[in-house]
Amino acid sequence: MNQNRIPRVGIGGPVGCGKTMLIERVVPVLASSGYSVSIISNDVISKEDANRMRLNLATKRGLLPENLVVGLATGGCPHTAVREDPSMNLAVIEEMETKHQELDLIIIESGGDNITTTFSPALADYFIYIIDVAGGDKYPRKRGLGIETADLLVINKIDLAPLVNANLEVMEKDAKAVRDNKPYVFVNCKTDKGIDQVASHIMHNVLFDEPPKAQQLKR
Amino acid sequence: MSTDFFEQLGIMQLSDSFFPSGLYATSNGLEILIHDRKIKTANELGELIKIFIKQQIGPADCVALCNIYNFIAENDFEKIIQADKMLYSMKLVKEIRETSTRSGIQLIKCIQSFKDQKILKLYSDSITKGESTGVYPVCFAIASYSLGVKKEHAATMLLYGFTVGMVGAALRMGIVEHFEAQKIIDDLKNEIANTVQKNINKSISEMWQFAPEIDIVQITHERLAEKMFIT
Repeated sequence: MNQNRIPRVGIGGPVGCGKTMLIERVVPVLASSGYSVSIISNDVISKEDANRMRLNLATKRGLLPENLVVGLATGGCPHTAVREDPSMNLAVIEEMETKHQELDLIIIESGGDNITTTFSPALADYFIYIIDVAGGDKYPRKRGLGIETADLLVINKIDLAPLVNANLEVMEKDAKAVRDNKPYVFVNCKTDKGIDQVASHIMHNVLFDEPPKAQQLKR
Repeated sequence: MSTDFFEQLGIMQLSDSFFPSGLYATSNGLEILIHDRKIKTANELGELIKIFIKQQIGPADCVALCNIYNFIAENDFEKIIQADKMLYSMKLVKEIRETSTRSGIQLIKCIQSFKDQKILKLYSDSITKGESTGVYPVCFAIASYSLGVKKEHAATMLLYGFTVGMVGAALRMGIVEHFEAQKIIDDLKNEIANTVQKNINKSISEMWQFAPEIDIVQITHERLAEKMFIT
């Protein structure tokens, strides 16, 4: 085991489900608790997501240094980049671990993909899979490795449920059933509903409620 | 089981696209050539790959790989470090250099996870200390040697792997279909074989690469805001 290993959270989900927005909402909560976070964004066709997070979280709000938001092209193979062959992600992470031991957490965003996305355990210690209600309330019961095996399922855009005739009770019941009672959170990234819960899961299950490294050093 | 049999399995393992190297995410600048409609057909793609093989991969990467085999046999680790640095300095495009070392280092780590060879540890330690860069062809030579693959075969695999990587990228970008892709690979077999024979006995001081137009294409590609591939 690498002694310098920094805890890692992988976030996967279909195109447009709100992966980037979730990170943009969760990182400020983690930062307000003193945690130092970096982000690797695997994009399918551009570095747009990485650029947006760099602008919103680093440049405008100063929550992390600009160089700690890294965009990675995946050659059109987003799931390969985080599962079958995570070499490039691991290379970037190891470079971060060497240069930025002050980091408490690395968040890895997968490129938008299908419901079979999962993260290599060599890459992510904790896996969040995110879907949105606009795909219909059938989504959880359609299963798929991402929905079934993720450590945390996030169901986003709940404000749209009435507009697309999605029944949140059905989604909740199915999520419980297909995930064998593993946790799920209903989220609205626009209003931050549920964001604290997602951050709490990360702090508890990935950071084990340890204080941020910066605070530990001061002691 | 004979040594040859295990060599063959080593060749299969390292040549398999299932082997993790991260190189599937690179197009070596092909993406922008396709986007700008400078490469439109299977024939044009085949000709481009030939240029890469003749002007870069053969005289530089392949020569480096073959010499690394010699230096391992001579137990001359200093020369391995020297070759590593020379080859790295010949990779003129930033993203190409970065990708080459990132892939190379991960390749060495992967082999080290199941092979216990002195050369793997020596080289890996020299990367950690900053003495070596971990440029891919050097790592590939050390990995192939560690799996019992002969020099000539390792050089062939390096060229074949590059060819398949380029054709695979073209297929994902939609300019060739799967049968055409295999035909391009088949058509390039002579080029690969000749390139190995031409470069296998060259000394490290004879290593060169010269493809300025490709360098310019790759530099332009690495600066694109929207792209599928790491240059």
